[in-house]
Parts: sequence; C-alpha cells; structure tokens
Amino acid sequence: MSTVVVSAAGGDGFVAPGPASFDLPPIVAGVTKPMVLIVLSAILVAWFFISSARPAAIVPGKLQYVGELAYGFVRNSVARDIIGGTEYIKYVPLLVAMFFFVLLNNFFATIPGIQFPTFSHVGFAYVLAFISWVVYNAVGIRKHGFLGYLKHSTIPSGVPAFILPLLIPMEFASNIIFRPITLSLRLFANMFAGHLLIMLFALGGEYLLLHASGLIAKPAGLLTFVFGILIGFLEILVQVLQAYVFTFLTAMYISGALAEEH
Amino acid sequence: MNQNEPASRSAGRASNAAWGAFGYVLSGLAVYGGLGWFLDRWLGVSFLLPVGLILGAVLSLYLVITKYGRTS
Repeated sequence: MSTVVVSAAGGDGFVAPGPASFDLPPIVAGVTKPMVLIVLSAILVAWFFISSARPAAIVPGKLQYVGELAYGFVRNSVARDIIGGTEYIKYVPLLVAMFFFVLLNNFFATIPGIQFPTFSHVGFAYVLAFISWVVYNAVGIRKHGFLGYLKHSTIPSGVPAFILPLLIPMEFASNIIFRPITLSLRLFANMFAGHLLIMLFALGGEYLLLHASGLIAKPAGLLTFVFGILIGFLEILVQVLQAYVFTFLTAMYISGALAEEH
Repeated sequence: MNQNEPASRSAGRASNAAWGAFGYVLSGLAVYGGLGWFLDRWLGVSFLLPVGLILGAVLSLYLVITKYGRTS
C-alpha cells in the first residue's frame, strides 16, 4: 500500500516518526516538557486529593464525593481485595498516589495542548518500578527477616528436594529481577507505542492529504485521520488499563511478600 | 483472619496464576537460555543455547504446574 502512494507522490517522501520524535527540546535552561509535565502531574494529583478531603462533611459535596469515589476505588478493589487482612491500610497511600499519578501522566497523551505521555520516556517508568521494587522487598524483609524473605521468595513449595537447585535461580530471577523490569517496560512500551501510533496516523494523514499526489491520496488521507481519532480512543483505554495494571501488580507483589504460606 | 478472602479468593488466585505463570516462563527462558548462551561462548559450541532454552521452558512449566495447577 505504501509503495502505491509514495510512487504517486513523487517529490520528497514521507518521513515516518520514530524514537527521535520523542526527544523534546528544552523550553528554558535545560528544562524539558516531560520534566514540567511530571512535576505538574504531581501538583495536580496532590491538589485534587487534598482539596477534596478538606471539607470532610458527613454528607459530601460534589468535589468530596468524586475524591472519595476515586480514593475508594483504589482502596477497595486494589488494596483491600488484593492485600486484605488487617494491614492493607498501610499501603493505601502509596497505591492511591501511584494509580492517579500514572493515570494523569498517561492522560497527558490525550489532553489537547499537552499531548505527550511522560512515561514514553523510559527513565520515569524505571524510577516508579524501582519504588515498587524497594517497597515490596522491604515489606517482605521486615516481615520475614532477610534470610527468611529470601527463603520465602526463592524456594517453591510442593516440589521434590532434588529438583530445587534447578528451580531456585528461576524463582529468584522471577521475583527479584524480572518483576521491576517487566513492570517498567510494560508501562513504557505501551505509552511509547501508543504515542508513536497516533503520531504516525496524524503525520501520515497530513502527508497524504497535503503533500501526496495521486488518485487515492486524498481519500486515504481522510481515512488515516479518522483512524487516528479511533486509535486515540483506544489509547485512552490503554492508558487507564496500564495505570491500573501497574498499581494492581504492585499490590500483588506486596501481598505476595506478606503471604504466610510456605 | 481475612474477612475479605472468601469472596475474591478464586478470582484473585486465577489472576495470581496468570501473572505468576508469565513471570516464571519468562524467567525460566531467560535464566537457562542465558546460562546456555554463556556456556556456548565459553566452550565455543553453538548447541547449548537452544538446549538451555528448552530446559528453561520445561522447568518453568513444571514450576507453573506444581504451583498453580493444584485445584485445592
């Protein structure tokens, strides 16, 4: 399909967006847009929850109701249902903050004017996954002791003893090494790929509509734009889902570190 | 101890199993495939990487089945 269009175009061809398109130039004094966005999102999330909790009325007004709805969603369906028990409340602040921080940063990809998901820069995802990793390991070490936690997280139960030496490196790698890696890369890759897709449809549609010549260029360009809008809606779903998955998995890892069995 | 456990237990266990299985298969392939690859380079042969990958796949599947297969 692309050869048909490009040969009809002649002239200088279409330059597809790539990883270089994510390198945003500094706005002033080395401060780039992702830096501004990440700080802005922290301020906005904190401001929302503080101001929605301030009235503390028994019969809530609108802002307090929305804030309680938002907080209650993470507290109940993530923290209470996954960690449960008597200790889950200790982890609710982290999980609530994590969910809405990731959610707002993901939504920045769709908000007009901003249109950049901060987690498409992988460093941000690495840091958040590192925080997750430190928390679930620290929780496990505090509960079981260092050696006890190592035993708990690397020795599977219900396997015959002779096969244990083969399984222990795998359990160790799975629980200690791959969890933060997959956590960060899952978030980064989803945000990066989604934003790249939208850029591709937008730039491709613009090229087809304005710069390409040939019979099918204009209809193809229009179709590309429409598709790009549909992909934008898909991206909203992906953004919410990835925020939820990140928080859900952090809660699951904490719950696993606290678990009593074996 | 957990008054919330019975309601969400089976659903929680299923999703635990899904994510756990993913983690184990990935780490099994990576650990034993990586081991095979290192041994390949050290010994100068080329067949140990696929052997390691297959061994890792088998072991990780064994771990997934023993850990999550029991419908207790």
